[in-house]
Amino acid sequence: MAWNPDIKGVTLPFSVLKQSLKQPHTLNYPVEKRQLVPGYRGFHVNDLSQCVGCGNCQEICMNEAIDMVEATSEVNPKNASGLVPRIDYGRCCWCSLCADVCGPYSLRLEGEYTYVSADPDSFLYVPKDTKTS
Amino acid sequence: MSDVIKIFHGPQHPGVTGNMSMELDLDGETIRRAVTHVGYLHRGFEKLVERRTLIQAFTIVCRICVPEPDPNEENLARGIEELAGLEISERAQFIRVLVLELARLQAHLLWLAGQGGSIGHEVVPQWAIGERDYILDLFEELTGGRVYHMYIYPGGVRRDLPDGFLDRVAAVLDQLEQRLPEYDRIFFENAGVKKRLQGVGVVAAEEAVANGYSGPVIRGSGVARDVRRDAPYLVYDQLEFDIPTQSAGDAYARALVRRAEMNQSIRILRQVIDRMPPGTIQCKLPRHHKFTLPRAETYVQTESARGAFGYYLAGDGTEYLRRLQVRGPSIVHAFTLLEQLLVGAQLADVALIMNSLGICPPEIER
Repeated sequence: MAWNPDIKGVTLPFSVLKQSLKQPHTLNYPVEKRQLVPGYRGFHVNDLSQCVGCGNCQEICMNEAIDMVEATSEVNPKNASGLVPRIDYGRCCWCSLCADVCGPYSLRLEGEYTYVSADPDSFLYVPKDTKTS
Repeated sequence: MSDVIKIFHGPQHPGVTGNMSMELDLDGETIRRAVTHVGYLHRGFEKLVERRTLIQAFTIVCRICVPEPDPNEENLARGIEELAGLEISERAQFIRVLVLELARLQAHLLWLAGQGGSIGHEVVPQWAIGERDYILDLFEELTGGRVYHMYIYPGGVRRDLPDGFLDRVAAVLDQLEQRLPEYDRIFFENAGVKKRLQGVGVVAAEEAVANGYSGPVIRGSGVARDVRRDAPYLVYDQLEFDIPTQSAGDAYARALVRRAEMNQSIRILRQVIDRMPPGTIQCKLPRHHKFTLPRAETYVQTESARGAFGYYLAGDGTEYLRRLQVRGPSIVHAFTLLEQLLVGAQLADVALIMNSLGICPPEIER
C-alpha cells in the first residue's frame, strides 16, 4: 500500500496563526459598548400625551402580557378610559404587534434592553413616558 | 455475562443539537443499537396556533426552529396567502428571498460551529459564531430582532429596508467571501477533519430517495433535489443558482455541500441586491380579529438549511386555523436515519453524525 500523506491538509491549518496578528472582533465590554440599533425591539416606551387608552395593544397581545392600568401621571385629555398599558416582561415575547396596532403611534419599542432587578413584581413594567419624535 | 452496556446520550449534552436523548447499547466504543427518544422539548406550538388569530400565530412559528426561524415564517405566511388569495408585491418577495438566504448563511455558519465543536476543532466554532454575528447584526437592523425575526408576515413583510441596508449586506457578503477560503484552509481541507468525517455516516442515494431525506443529506448522496428548484416559490425561478451535490454520501460530503451552498447563497443575495425592485412591501389586510380563512387546505414547502420544510394548513371559515401541521426535515433524519447510521459507529462519532445530519429537535417536537 502506497504511502500518500496529505501534506497540504496538514500544513494549511497552520494558516490560522496569522490571525494572532489581527485585532479581535469583540468589544471590551463594559468599557466599550455597542451602539443601540434604531428599530430594535427592546423595552416599550409610551407617549402618554398621545395614548388614547383604547386597549388595542392589550387585545392583540397573543401572550396576554398587557394589562390596562390606571395612569399615575398626566395623560392625553382624549384618553377617555384613563388607562395605559402595563407589560408583563415575564410573558412578553417582544413581537411588537402591540406597537404595530397602536392607532396614535404612542406605544413603540426602543433600543434599550438591559434590565436587572431582584424584585419579580418589577417585571410588570409600565413603559416610560417618552415623546414621539 | 454480556459486555454490552447501555448509556443515555442526552437530553442535556454538549454534543446534541437540542434536547434529545439517544439510548445507546455500547460494546466497548462501538454502538450496537441506538434508539432516539424525543419529548423533552414539546411546547405544543401546533395546538397554540389553533388558539391564536392568524396574525398572532406568526409570532409563535418562528420558535419552532431556533437556528433558522425564517422558513417557518415564510411557510405560515405563504400558506395563509394561498388560502386567503392574497397577492404579495414583487419587492416583498425579493426581501423575503434576501431574509431566507441570509438565514441560510447564518444557519450554515452555526452548523459549521457545531460540526467543528463535535470533532474537537477549537478554532472554527469561534470563527463561525463570530462571522454569524455580522449577519445577525443585519437582521437586527432590518427586523428589530437578532434570532427571532418575526418579520415575514402574511401579505408581505413588516418593515421596508432601512436606508443603505443593501450596501451593508453587500459589505458583509464581501467580507464573508474573503473569509470563507480561510475556513477552507483550517477546516474543509484540514487532514484531521477529513480523517474524522470521511466514511462516517454514509447514506446511499437510493435510500435517501426512498425514505424522503432532503437538504444536504440527499444532496450529499448525489441527488440534486431542492425545493427552490423543484417547486419554486417567491422569485427563486428568476434567480440563477446551482444545486451543489457530492457523491460520497458521508459526513464530509454533506460538509462540502453546505460549504458550496454558502457560495450559492451569496450568489443569490448579490442578484437580489442588484434587482431589488421598488414598490410596496405589504398588501392591505383586514383587522386581525376579522381576518378569516375559507374552508380549505394547503401544503407549502420551503427549502431550509437542513432540507425541505413543509406546513399543512387548514382553514375552517373562522379567524383561526383549524389545523397546522409542521413537517420539518429532522423528523426523518432523527428517527429513520440516525438510528440506523449509529449502529456500528463509534461513541465519539455520535455528535459528529448528529451535527452532520443537521438534526434540530425543536422542529421534531414543535
